[in-house]
Amino acid sequence: MSMSTPGPERVPSTVKVGKTSGQGKPPASKSAGRPGGNRPAGKGGGKGRKPITPVKVSGGRNWGPIAVAGVVVLIAVGIIGYGVWAAARSSNESSTPWAERAAAISGIVNYRENADKTITSRNHKTGSLTYSTNPPVGGDHNPRWENCTGNVYTEPIPKEHAVHSLEHGAVWITYKQGLPADQVEKLADKVNGQDYMLMSPIVNLDKNVSLQAWGYQLKVDTVDDSRIDDFIKALRMNASVEPGATCSSGVTVTGDTPQDS
Amino acid sequence: MTVTTESGAAPAGAVPLGGEAPRRNFTFGVAWLAGLLIVGLLLGAGGALWATRATKPGDASVEAGFLRDMSTHHAQAVEMSMIAHAGSTDPNIISLAADIALTQHGQIGYMQAWLRDWRLDPTGSEPPMAWMPGSEGSVQNGLMPGMATPEQMTALRAATGKQLDIQFLTLMRQHHLGGIHMAQEILTLSDNKDVTWLAETMVTGQQGELNLIDDLLKKIQGTA
Repeated sequence: MSMSTPGPERVPSTVKVGKTSGQGKPPASKSAGRPGGNRPAGKGGGKGRKPITPVKVSGGRNWGPIAVAGVVVLIAVGIIGYGVWAAARSSNESSTPWAERAAAISGIVNYRENADKTITSRNHKTGSLTYSTNPPVGGDHNPRWENCTGNVYTEPIPKEHAVHSLEHGAVWITYKQGLPADQVEKLADKVNGQDYMLMSPIVNLDKNVSLQAWGYQLKVDTVDDSRIDDFIKALRMNASVEPGATCSSGVTVTGDTPQDS
Repeated sequence: MTVTTESGAAPAGAVPLGGEAPRRNFTFGVAWLAGLLIVGLLLGAGGALWATRATKPGDASVEAGFLRDMSTHHAQAVEMSMIAHAGSTDPNIISLAADIALTQHGQIGYMQAWLRDWRLDPTGSEPPMAWMPGSEGSVQNGLMPGMATPEQMTALRAATGKQLDIQFLTLMRQHHLGGIHMAQEILTLSDNKDVTWLAETMVTGQQGELNLIDDLLKKIQGTA
């Protein structure tokens, strides 16, 4: 009885014909009897055409509903596909790419997972504090931070303030005291006008240049080392453990003694 | 019913065909559905990829450049305002400074959040103002248009009384002019709805503040 499928196909064309010419015939054959009978006559194809009609019937499945259903399924699946894709994508990207980029910098030291917990401690303390690395990369620090809105300090600055700047997301460039002026200038070019950057000389540095972000350090021999820019790009602001904290409204003190006021 | 009779009368082939049809329909339907699923998944993923690419500015976009640079530009206005807020004794200056500092720090939050939404770094490797055509030479010693030099900031920090107020207003006037210039430029370059919305508020907001700054400057210098 799936033969009813061909029926509807015929009916639309048939109905018109049936209405115009089918007045005298009995109701029973009206609906279905005519289509068959009228068509060949109307087309004038005669009996030779009759076999063709059934071929149409079997091949001519109901494309209309199938197409509609297909489009509906397509749209539905498209929406689902997008959902799946978007979910997969967001889970991929939530895995902090900057940390991976930082990890890929050769020579970088990540202290965030260090056994020495004083390095990642974040208490505010006044007075002079001691740090287990030189320069420090984290740990307890002064309540006030050193301004780091692209500040180039030409004298050493109190570490207790600089560590607070690191906590706010700054990259702190330090260089060996006595580094030639043209090399200092090259470093300063990376700092001038750049928010979340500060730079200062530091005593007893074992390499010419050392870069710090909260929990990260990279020491290099020359100011032309390309890893300096990699470090800045990966960690500036990204390394902040206080998103939204500023580099302004801090102190601009130099010397060895933190400013407790 | 009559159909069967009729088709039965016409060709012999019609009946066997009719008997086969359900099974064929079924297998055909499964293949059809599987095909649709695959095409749909591809279309969905492709469309989504295209849509996100088309709507999310990239790392080298003017939008990203503007948001990064304006964040830095704003940060200095916050700094100047915080100095004035802490040091001034004029209620008008204290109020204006609080307004600028809080507004611009809030706007930095918007700008940084969008960069994060777009999965972009908060900072770029390009020099300041690189996103703005014809901006060559507008950056002096790393400072964008309107920004105060380190020397001017040091002087502001050291200033007190009327001098502090005048220096703050003068520096902020320049700063706003530079900021408005940048915001107007992004309005011509971008059609990102979020970015242009914020840039428009910067233009109108800072132009309004410029009028206030000019009035205050006249008043303070007039009595100096």
